[in-house]
Amino acid sequence: MATLSIKDVRKSYGSVQVLHGVDIELEDGGFLVLLGPSGCGKSTLLNMIAGLDDTSGGDILIGGRSVVDLAPKDRNIAMVFQSYALYPTMSVERNIGFGLEMRGVDADQRKRAVDDAARLLQISHLLDRRPANLSGGQRQRVAMGRAIVRDPELFLFDEPLSNLDAKLRVEMRTEIKRLHERLGTSIVYVTHDQIEAMTLGTKVAVMKGGHIQQLADPRTIYERPANIFVASFIGSPAMNFLPGRLASSPSGVRFAANGVSVAMPAGKRQVDFDRPVILGVRPEELKAVARDEASVTGVIDVVEPTGPETMVTVQVGEQSIIARLPPRFAGRRKEPIFLAVDPASVNLFDPDSEQRIDI
Amino acid sequence: MIESKRRRRTVANIATYFVLAGLSMFCIGPMIWMLLTSLKYEADIVTQTMQYIPRRVTFDNYVAIWTQSGFPRLIGNSITVTFLTVTICVATGTLAAYAFSRFAFRGRTQLMLGYLVVRMFPAVMMIIPLYVVMRGVGLVDSRFGLALAYTSFLLPLFVWMLKGFFDSAPRELESAARIDGSTRLGAMVRIVMPLARNGLVASSVFIAIAAWNEFLFALMLTTGQGSRTWPVGLQLMVGEFQLPWGVLAAGGILSILPVVVLFAIVQRTMVQGLTAGAIKG
Amino acid sequence: MTSSSSRYLPLRALGELSETRYWMYLLLLPSLVMILLVIAYPTLYGMAISFRDMRLTRPGLDGWVGFKHYAGMWSDPVFWIALKNTVVWVTAAIVLELALGLLAATALNRDLPGTKIFAVLILLPYFLPNVVAGHMWALLLDPRLGVINDLLVRVGVLETYKAWFADPNTALAATVLVEAWHGFPFFALLLLAGLKSIPEDLYRAAAVDGAGVSAQLRLITLPMLKTVIAAAVILRVIGLVNSPDLLLILTGGGPGDATQVLSLYAFQTAYKEFNFGYASALSVVMFVILMIFAAAYIRLSRITKGEGDD
Repeated sequence: MATLSIKDVRKSYGSVQVLHGVDIELEDGGFLVLLGPSGCGKSTLLNMIAGLDDTSGGDILIGGRSVVDLAPKDRNIAMVFQSYALYPTMSVERNIGFGLEMRGVDADQRKRAVDDAARLLQISHLLDRRPANLSGGQRQRVAMGRAIVRDPELFLFDEPLSNLDAKLRVEMRTEIKRLHERLGTSIVYVTHDQIEAMTLGTKVAVMKGGHIQQLADPRTIYERPANIFVASFIGSPAMNFLPGRLASSPSGVRFAANGVSVAMPAGKRQVDFDRPVILGVRPEELKAVARDEASVTGVIDVVEPTGPETMVTVQVGEQSIIARLPPRFAGRRKEPIFLAVDPASVNLFDPDSEQRIDI
Repeated sequence: MIESKRRRRTVANIATYFVLAGLSMFCIGPMIWMLLTSLKYEADIVTQTMQYIPRRVTFDNYVAIWTQSGFPRLIGNSITVTFLTVTICVATGTLAAYAFSRFAFRGRTQLMLGYLVVRMFPAVMMIIPLYVVMRGVGLVDSRFGLALAYTSFLLPLFVWMLKGFFDSAPRELESAARIDGSTRLGAMVRIVMPLARNGLVASSVFIAIAAWNEFLFALMLTTGQGSRTWPVGLQLMVGEFQLPWGVLAAGGILSILPVVVLFAIVQRTMVQGLTAGAIKG
Repeated sequence: MTSSSSRYLPLRALGELSETRYWMYLLLLPSLVMILLVIAYPTLYGMAISFRDMRLTRPGLDGWVGFKHYAGMWSDPVFWIALKNTVVWVTAAIVLELALGLLAATALNRDLPGTKIFAVLILLPYFLPNVVAGHMWALLLDPRLGVINDLLVRVGVLETYKAWFADPNTALAATVLVEAWHGFPFFALLLLAGLKSIPEDLYRAAAVDGAGVSAQLRLITLPMLKTVIAAAVILRVIGLVNSPDLLLILTGGGPGDATQVLSLYAFQTAYKEFNFGYASALSVVMFVILMIFAAAYIRLSRITKGEGDD
């Protein structure tokens, strides 16, 4: 059974439509990440699931029950906010137990539940403190404690890690993943950070301009992006795009551009030769090879060793691409470089519609 | 080079203190003089050679204003009117300020602007019709009527000021409370109100001081001892009884005492509330 | 739901009501009722009175007279004197208050130790009642025992004590001084907040670029303060034009009509002569003048602001 079904949900403010007919199904115990740049509608969608914003159309079901007419308190959800939204006037203990208090759970039971949650999150020693006396990471843990203590049907996370420093962010990301695997409760998680989306989600919805661009598991999103936007939004450094044409050759179909000639895997579909296409290659799919094995030929522009690898910016014809090469790469600026591509790893896009082309 | 820079800074600091001391003297000098006058014997006030520091001190003037005039009665009326004004404003204005701070609705901007335009209404323009209307319903010369009249210019001020304080209480807190099981009402009472408490106190004190000080409306709308407030009473005493300077000064000191005390207590929050609107706008 | 049943029932109903979309209107309702009652209705009624004859001393007189009062103003010499005095008085007070306020704000903004106390002292006059402020200054400037007269004679500025409020040549200036004392803290307050909102980095950047103190004032401080100054001036002008309190206490418009301003004239017409019709017409004219001033001023300060941005 699906924990969460979003059916043709729309939202407009006056004449401005910010969400256009969104459809999402989340399986029981799933982890849905809403990913996109700011203003894409992901937070609005989350607020509508929470009941903090009204829907302008469509239906939202949690556990099979339509909730669009229910107040947030009646939706059996819990939420972790970007600013943590801890009640400044209450102790950590009361903060965590507030949801239970509001639901009339008696003090003993409440204490036990709060203690359990605190132990799970390793914040038992903080229970008497006020939120103002906590560090950012501790606040984050308290906010999560407040959510899990209620044992809701659905967790909502609104960019929960964006106020933490880089090191803590990685730590808490792992923590959230561990928590999800342990509790098994479904989660909807909003972020603009693609790493969080990739590491946490069982399902990722990439959004832009109030539309879902692609809804799939992280691997598919990374390897088979639905369009150029998704392809460039996911992955760092971003996917390389090379405009060129498809041409027929003795060995089959090839992608050809100035300095580039890549054999395409044999496809099921009829290929439209000579049409302009855009080739998408991830930087790590490029390998430095000898001249006769090369499918991409160019000149080294910038070499940036990062430690575990070396980023090399290569000038190919009029285009500039980035290759992720091994740490001890020895090339220098202005030297020629020869790169090979695994045909199975590339994607082709239509230059007009920017959608991926299956071949 | 560095030496001259340091010297220049020292000169600037001394100049700053000089300016601040001068302005402070300009501001509170008159009050100090009034305090000194209130402590002098009448003979020492009306002398040929000015006494800057009183040679002898007396509290006779305070005794006189408190026992030989209707002053306690006036103060009592002022307290009642101030209390009623603040009650009406807090009861109705808090809800409105909250709505303005939290909800987007059609006509919101126009309504907020309307609250501001009210400030442009000349007092006389309000006083005359209020007088006529209140005379019709028997509210002239009533403390409640005067409080209602004060609401006409203090309620919009109160709403504006308090809205600023509500704005600074994060919305996410309310969302969290609503998801935790509160209604909007519950979130407002349990979460937002405690956070905006200082702002609520400061805004209330601000209108309390304004109501306490008000003169023009009170002059027109009160005629008898039963409802007359202290500013009107004091003014009439000066006109009718040729109040001696010492007694007048004592009355002045007594009536500004609550203002000074309240101001000292909440001045920081109040200043914050007064300036917020002008800086943002 | 699972909410505790022990809770007071009507309160719970109200709580449920707060989750509907009628809630915000419910919140607005009480204050709207108040405002309709004590502002909207009286205002409209007041405008209506300005087209009627209404004198409480002559109850029979109560008919519509159209623009009679407005026409009467045209040939009323006191109206023109009051209008002229209003402009002079307000302009002088604003200039003085703005200058003092800027001085105070700049000094306070240096944040030297002990500044906080000075800030409180400087702010205090703004919260003092007009009645006390008026009599206090009347005492200070008294022709027989005023301490200011005494001081001025001692330092040799004056030959003898001067009756500041009784001399038509000095009366208006003296009231401007009192008004400025009462009002300049308001400017100091807003300007200080404005100064504090200017990022320190701007000054550092300017200093690095070689801008001196006067250049910094001209290129950073004043342009950045423009909105605050505009807001402060407009609020204060409204306050000054509308409240005759201090003048009523200090001079009552005299000597002659030397300190007669529009608001005071309107109030005395109502309070002393009970001529409500004419008084209303005077205040409506005042309101219209204020509206025109406010609109023009806002537009003007927007235009200059736009130029500053280029």
